[in-house]
Amino acid sequence: MDGLAFGSLIALVSLGYTMVYGILKFINFAHSDVFVLGAWTSYAIAVGAGLAMRQEAGNAVTPWIFWLAVSGVGAAFLLLAWERLLLDRVPHGVRSLLPGRGTAVTVGGAAAAGWSVIGLISVAGMLGKSKPAGDGAGWQTYAAGGVILLASMMACGLIGFTIERLAYKPLRKAPRLNVLITAIGVSLLLQNMGQLDWMFGTRPQSMPTLLPDKVLVEFGGGAAGQNSVKLRLLDVFGAGTAVVLMVVLDVLVFRTKLGRAMRAVSYNERTASLMGIPVDRVISFTFVLGAALAAAGGFLFAQKYSGIQQSAAPVWVLLGLKAFIAAVVGGIGNIRGAMLGGLLIGLAEMFVRQYQSPALVDVYVFGILILVLLVKPTGLLGSRMQEKV
Amino acid sequence: MAVAVLAQLVVFPWLVGQGLNFEAKLSVDIAISIVLAVSLTMVNGFTGQFSIGHAAFMAVGAYTSACVVYYGSHRIYGNPEMLGGMLSAMKEGRSGAPWFTGADLLFAGAVLSGGVVAAGCGYLVGLPSLRLKGDYLAIVTLGFGEIVRALVQSQTSEVLSEGSSVTEDHLKTITAWQGKLTTDDYLTAANVAEVPWYLWPKYVGGALGFAGLPSYNSLFWAVLAAGATLVVAYRIKTSTYGRAFLSIREDEIAAEAMGVNTTAYKVKAFAIAAFFAGIAGGLFCHTIGVQLNPGELGFQKSFDIIIMVVLGGMGSISGAAIAAALVTWIPEKLRKPEELQGMWVAGVTLIVLGIVIGVILHAAGRNRALGKGIAVIGGVALGLSGLAQLAIKYEVDLSRYRMVLFALALIAMMLLRPQGLLGLRELWDRSLWLELFARRSTDAKGGGRS
Amino acid sequence: MTQPILRVSGVSKSFGGLKAVQDFSLEISAGEVQGLIGPNGAGKTTCFNLITGVYTPDVGSVNLLGRDIQGARPYSIAALGMARTFQNIRLFGELPVLDNVRLACHLRVRHTLASAVLKLPLHRGEERAIRERAMDLLAIFGLDSRADEQAKNLPYGDQRRLEIARALATGPKVLLLDEPAAGMNPQEKVELRKLILSVRDRFGVAVLLIEHDMGVVMNLCERITVLNFGQTIAVGTPAEVQGNPKVVEAYLGTE
Repeated sequence: MDGLAFGSLIALVSLGYTMVYGILKFINFAHSDVFVLGAWTSYAIAVGAGLAMRQEAGNAVTPWIFWLAVSGVGAAFLLLAWERLLLDRVPHGVRSLLPGRGTAVTVGGAAAAGWSVIGLISVAGMLGKSKPAGDGAGWQTYAAGGVILLASMMACGLIGFTIERLAYKPLRKAPRLNVLITAIGVSLLLQNMGQLDWMFGTRPQSMPTLLPDKVLVEFGGGAAGQNSVKLRLLDVFGAGTAVVLMVVLDVLVFRTKLGRAMRAVSYNERTASLMGIPVDRVISFTFVLGAALAAAGGFLFAQKYSGIQQSAAPVWVLLGLKAFIAAVVGGIGNIRGAMLGGLLIGLAEMFVRQYQSPALVDVYVFGILILVLLVKPTGLLGSRMQEKV
Repeated sequence: MAVAVLAQLVVFPWLVGQGLNFEAKLSVDIAISIVLAVSLTMVNGFTGQFSIGHAAFMAVGAYTSACVVYYGSHRIYGNPEMLGGMLSAMKEGRSGAPWFTGADLLFAGAVLSGGVVAAGCGYLVGLPSLRLKGDYLAIVTLGFGEIVRALVQSQTSEVLSEGSSVTEDHLKTITAWQGKLTTDDYLTAANVAEVPWYLWPKYVGGALGFAGLPSYNSLFWAVLAAGATLVVAYRIKTSTYGRAFLSIREDEIAAEAMGVNTTAYKVKAFAIAAFFAGIAGGLFCHTIGVQLNPGELGFQKSFDIIIMVVLGGMGSISGAAIAAALVTWIPEKLRKPEELQGMWVAGVTLIVLGIVIGVILHAAGRNRALGKGIAVIGGVALGLSGLAQLAIKYEVDLSRYRMVLFALALIAMMLLRPQGLLGLRELWDRSLWLELFARRSTDAKGGGRS
Repeated sequence: MTQPILRVSGVSKSFGGLKAVQDFSLEISAGEVQGLIGPNGAGKTTCFNLITGVYTPDVGSVNLLGRDIQGARPYSIAALGMARTFQNIRLFGELPVLDNVRLACHLRVRHTLASAVLKLPLHRGEERAIRERAMDLLAIFGLDSRADEQAKNLPYGDQRRLEIARALATGPKVLLLDEPAAGMNPQEKVELRKLILSVRDRFGVAVLLIEHDMGVVMNLCERITVLNFGQTIAVGTPAEVQGNPKVVEAYLGTE
């Protein structure tokens, strides 16, 4: 049970990996850091909404979002002015170094997104306050939880967008290796920035429970509830949310026009652009989507293991890596494969933890990865690619 | 080349007497980093196979040599103390000891064996993995790296010493093999010597790290290793085998068509690189003030090495060495921002110098790259000093920003100058200087295509 | 009646459902210059790939100097005496011109890596020999003055010639050239023809070339095989092939 819940979380994150690989044919190492970021962002937003206590002095992140959003609007106006008035007068050679056409719109859009996040935070805050005082969580808390989830997803989507624009887009034509290295760089950057004091700090914080929780059923069990399999409502909710999101994604990719555009780009970028698909926007959207899903995964994870809220420590990044393994195992580039992979890895991890030793978990999970890569490199559901001589 | 190394060997024993101080430790660190960076460039750079689990080989080498030294010391000398001579000394207070003792041989042998075991692992890992391309290879190597770390962490946290006991299961193994001990016995120091060698890997301290290792490593050994690595790498690169490796990086299909067994050669390069990484590991764990800990040798260390190699230019030995030195040196300086303050003078000077050179070159109809490069270096120096001043003013601990800075440097490098500092070439390559001082053509690309 | 050096018999290859090459056969003897032509997509490069070990034939055999090599890896086939150039130039761009050729000498080397690291006499001797041989080869191709330049900086025509020089450095008995005249102007094509013939004379290799340019092919090859949609539609001398209605039809009048 635990495995399924865990597995669905992993699946959420692995979807991001697989989508990016499908579209851009590269592995976004930084994705696992977005997952961690998602958890932290949820926490920070919860703090900002007044729903959680930060255990040490220091700025909450909400002011940051606020100021970024404000400056975003300011920047958007400036860029608009620039575009309309000055851009055409600047000689061509210099132009490539400066922001081009359309940047104003992009930044403006980003700023708008930032404002929506703020709006959501306020909503969450209000919900929290409207809850009658006393122990226990009321429906308002859960609603606030939902809002926070949404806000966190949007915030991380925004971050994913920014990363893509700044770090990956300029390298679209570069050899794959370079992009890989850049991804590693971004990953390191996110990890280490998150550890700074004015961001999230290295001390563990605890995440408030924002989803309903209760032990529903217990299977088996030895003395004092050890080794029993518990079915917690939280898990159900968590897995449920994850499943809902995955279904939404599935529908999006396989049943809508946008989804078809995404798939077209993943098969052949150039042809897709010749058919009138706005490739840049599709790519950006994919990143945003992946990041949002990862954030959701992060939020759910933080809910489940609320005490273990830690900094961007290796433990977390490892989790992200496992999601990556899941994507590969299921067949990278294949969305349903990623879901399947996620479940498998989740189950595997839980089994090993139960019946072997927790320390060996990593060995087994990575072992699975290596096995799959050696035997069927394209994963369980993937397809082959060949180089033309 | 070899002459230079020999000269070093003569000079450094004299320097060894310096003993323990900050510069010496830093130099040892730099030397170890050079070994690591150059070894990684042999795989990533020469053959173009992107491996990101390199720290695993370092770990394998470290633990192997640790076992050999620690438990071997028990066997031979009855205790794990540092018994080396002057060459191995980094502490004051060993004056009067002979230059060279038997224990030094043990250490050297241990480090070499660490390298050999690491190479063996490299071979085993490389054989299946190197059939995979690019991204996939990267993940698999990362995976292996993590497996090594996890395996070590899952071992028992005990290191055998006087009065410690071997677990029952293990005792049973010993009993079965030797028919000597009973389960009631505890091992004393004398008995530690009797623990068969195949059980040593069990007792390496697990997740807590291998404590109590004697510190044999010194400036002498570190420089010796660095020198050897540089020489070997250089000789490989300039030989026909080096060309074979490089051809694999450039175009694997063409290389294979011209008679190069690409798979075999990739594995070879991998194993060689692993060997040197193992040596580095062996030296590392015996350095004074270092605790051998599996957590420290995980993917973060691998990424550190990758940063060095990428910044220096994948495939460039001198580039890797320079980058390794910088990457190791800068964080140390970041801890003391006062020392960096003064750099703005150097920074401004370099920028001015760069501009002047650039103008001169431009007027002479030549490539301005050299001027630009100098100016950029000046800019970086200026930037660092500026950061240092800010840090002092706002009382920020710069050393925590180390990775952030390096990550940004990595990203910037990829966006602006993906080939790193030197690309594939060496500091002394003729084609590098030819290009720097080449005549500027009016085409967008030098060399004019028809 | 000379023994054929290279004998390809009944080779076929399919990719998924697509039959790229069907029942391809060819024989070439020492000193011959043969041509393989056909419209785009006919499967010519695929045949090259099948012969040189890049692909493994589904059926059929490839026999080089009496040994069956189908399914062998390209590097061992190169060692046995067959070298090729590529349709899209595959030089080692970042490496100097000289090293591109020296690399091709590597397969004959006898000293080990350890010997190289220790700079043993065998290593030194062989390195010297390699350098000499490479420079000689470059001189023949007129590239020796640019030996230290990076291969990617060479003009296009020189790059093509360098690829041929590199292939020759492996010491082959059979040389496969994939569209050597692509992108060349008429003057260069004349030079190329002379070059190929002189190579054949000087090195005693058999040459098999894929080409689109009829002028080059007809003037150079003793025997031509014509492919269309993976199948062989004509084999014979230039005159025979030119007059063959099936060939004309397949090409629809290309130059």
